[in-house]
Amino acid sequence: MKKGLRWKILLTLAVLIISIIVAWPIQDKIKLGLDLKGGIHLVMQIITQDAVTMETDQEILRLQDLFKKNNIVYSSMTRSTPGKFTIQGLNPDEESKAREQLDQYLRDWDYSFSSGMATVTMKAVAMQLMKDQAVEQSVETIRNRIDQFGVAEPIIQRYGREQIIVELPGVDNPERVQSIIKTAAVLEFKLVRGYSQTDEESLLKDYGGKVPDDMEVLKGDPKAEAGGYFLVSKVASVTGKDLRLVRRSVDEWNQPAVAFQLKPDGARRFEQVTGENVGKQLAIILDKKVQSAPNINTRISDSGIIQGHFTIQKADDLVLILKSGSLPAGIKTLENRTIGPSLGADSIRAGLLAALVALVSIMTFMIIYYKISGINAIVALIFNQIILFGSLAYFGGTLTLPGIAGIILGIGMAVDCNVLVFERIREEFGTGKTVLNSISLGFSRAFRTIFDSHMTTIISAIFLFQFGTGPIKGYAVTLIISLVANLFTAVFVSHLIFDLTHSSKTQKLSI
Amino acid sequence: MQLFKTPNINFMKYRFVALAVTGVVILAGLLNVFFGKGLKMGVDFGGGTLIRIVFKNPTTTSEIRAELNRVGLGESVIQESGQPGREYMIRTLQVINAKDAQQEIEAHEKLGNRVIEALRGDDGKAETARGLKDLNSIDFPGLTELLRPAFRDGAEELAKSVIRYRTTKTTGSGIIEDYSGLSQAGLGPDVIRELQAKTFLGKMTVVSKETVGPQAGADLRKKATLAVIWSLIGMFVYIGFRFKLEYGVSAIITLTQDVLMGLSVYSFTNREINLPIIAALLTIVGYSINDTVVVFDRVRENLKGMRKEPFEVILNRSINQSLGRTIITTGTVFLAVLSLFLFGGKSINDFAFLMLFGSIEGVYSTIYLSCPVVLFWTQLFKKKKGARR
Repeated sequence: MKKGLRWKILLTLAVLIISIIVAWPIQDKIKLGLDLKGGIHLVMQIITQDAVTMETDQEILRLQDLFKKNNIVYSSMTRSTPGKFTIQGLNPDEESKAREQLDQYLRDWDYSFSSGMATVTMKAVAMQLMKDQAVEQSVETIRNRIDQFGVAEPIIQRYGREQIIVELPGVDNPERVQSIIKTAAVLEFKLVRGYSQTDEESLLKDYGGKVPDDMEVLKGDPKAEAGGYFLVSKVASVTGKDLRLVRRSVDEWNQPAVAFQLKPDGARRFEQVTGENVGKQLAIILDKKVQSAPNINTRISDSGIIQGHFTIQKADDLVLILKSGSLPAGIKTLENRTIGPSLGADSIRAGLLAALVALVSIMTFMIIYYKISGINAIVALIFNQIILFGSLAYFGGTLTLPGIAGIILGIGMAVDCNVLVFERIREEFGTGKTVLNSISLGFSRAFRTIFDSHMTTIISAIFLFQFGTGPIKGYAVTLIISLVANLFTAVFVSHLIFDLTHSSKTQKLSI
Repeated sequence: MQLFKTPNINFMKYRFVALAVTGVVILAGLLNVFFGKGLKMGVDFGGGTLIRIVFKNPTTTSEIRAELNRVGLGESVIQESGQPGREYMIRTLQVINAKDAQQEIEAHEKLGNRVIEALRGDDGKAETARGLKDLNSIDFPGLTELLRPAFRDGAEELAKSVIRYRTTKTTGSGIIEDYSGLSQAGLGPDVIRELQAKTFLGKMTVVSKETVGPQAGADLRKKATLAVIWSLIGMFVYIGFRFKLEYGVSAIITLTQDVLMGLSVYSFTNREINLPIIAALLTIVGYSINDTVVVFDRVRENLKGMRKEPFEVILNRSINQSLGRTIITTGTVFLAVLSLFLFGGKSINDFAFLMLFGSIEGVYSTIYLSCPVVLFWTQLFKKKKGARR
């Protein structure tokens, strides 16, 4: 054996063996895309404006508090757009005092004064950061919810600036999944100040037809309560953030309900509120809808139940949602695909059959056309497929239907490499060169062509991977891997096989 | 074996005829796209809801349309797919007057549900009222619960076998026609008796339901276009860098032609454009550029050895030299794609169709666009140095 061949053989075998180990058993190691496996694919948009609006409202409340403490007089403070609010009726003499407060406490905001009025705007950087955080936090919360829902290998990832992709293999109940993901789950406990079954006006009779500053009107959730209108305190006594433990339970009529326990801090506040308001009603509010408004019979310290005419599944879902925390912003669905497993099974069967027919017909052709050298090409092609699946398994790439198409393009290019090389060898051999010389010249001449054509396609596939979505990405991945593997198998390995089977004494060339 | 010796065909002589043919095809395609039938956008790019349904008993398109007409959804596109008479794709096409994108996608989802309800009709209502479950729609957890009282810990394994049987049947996959078939799945008579007592076999099953909202559709359209444009630019830069500027220019013109020709032919065939079709277009581009590079590489090599010859002769010589390789490669690729077209199943059929056309077109575009463009460029800019480079 020639020197230098030994390490080439070792390298080839090592690559081959590692690929087989990584990819075996193949049905466990290769991840299938949803189009082949079945499941739910959702694209959702986080309405990040919500988070900005919420922050603006909170800052207004904070500033009102600060102005009050420092005796700064103003007539009103109102939000004009998300991230922007105006202060009206300021005393021009107190402008510097107001500036001082703004400088000190609202650092992420810009402001401008003009004759008793101030416009306060959130800084662009701060707003972007806030939006980013809202998306990150949403992804985290949704991940928690999906984890508790119990899905194997879910994909939850950010996609672009404000979108997220959720992929749940093997799940086929899109309505339930969407409601679990999209529920904002803001839980609040507020004191009830008035109730009307029918309309808002009768509710406000005692207050001169106007909602008092420290109160707000909320609707009852018709699915839970009988509906109607509630007048409640604006400030929540306890919120979802105070929850320590949530679990499904039953109420006194043995209906499914959700039981909770509060953290020490929340429990103290809860004890105080319930103690001071025995005989009144406490509204339990989920996402601005009153679920129930039980009477406070006695001072309650740290636990209670939420009723709402739940089914067991609904109660379970609510537990899951409350446990995972609330979403910082609203979510809307952009794309919703549910693929059943039987469709995927059909596609796999068809795709495999097509790939097999393609491989066999190409192999047959190569042997007929290039005789013994054709076997060389076939060996290289098989190596190529093994490396392809090994790499897919190693990099955790996902096989999709367009991905199978990418593999077939790869097979085509692999054959092309062999054809290019073999035609060159024939050409060189035809001009009367020796067998070994023809082989080595054939490879070196064809290599430049092969390299350039592969590089061009790889470059375009990289762009596809970068800009493409789901299926196109799957296509780009298999294509890139096949082409890189090609450069190894159709050039390096194929050359090695020629070297091993031909020596300087070989006179005949079966090509 | 060798099909032919290196031929000597004067390809460049016919370049004007070929350019005219190319121009006519693309012009006809563009006219058709913009003033004629247009490009039919599938659910990926056009939005809406696409449902695939498998029926227990053979059903015809007109029966389905009649059912949908009764609920005012007769405009939907109904296509047979996969198993003849059993499997259908239905796409709702009703115009929706929605205030915003969110309402629109919800309306699309509702339309989809209405289609399913209309087709299901009264099937299974009586059985459901008696507390039976539809074995053709039940999911794995549901079936496990159903079997648990009778089989305890074995329930999960049994449910798995039933679902596996349902999904991987070779004919009528996704739907069980009668209980006797379950014995093939290795289920004992006691299990089948239990299933018969607690379930019924619904007349149809929904194998997939995809809804794409207007925003997502526009987004996917934009991303796909960007992906195509950037990958073309990437190839242009690489070839311009590895060869010469004019080769890069000619490559990008050729590839644009490939995309346009593909779309032209597609616009005449009444097929819908979906994401995989973009992958097909890019595959065509991939093969075509491969072909172009092979010929250009020969040109690059021949330029050194044939200094005295005019450029046109060098081009012809290079095309002829690589012709054997081109025909063999194209032939094998054609074989591979043909197998996709014949056996690849409905989901990939449109894709394979475009590829079949593209594999041939790629060769044509190399010979009759890439090479003439380089030739024109050379004649235009390099005249002073003589007609060759």
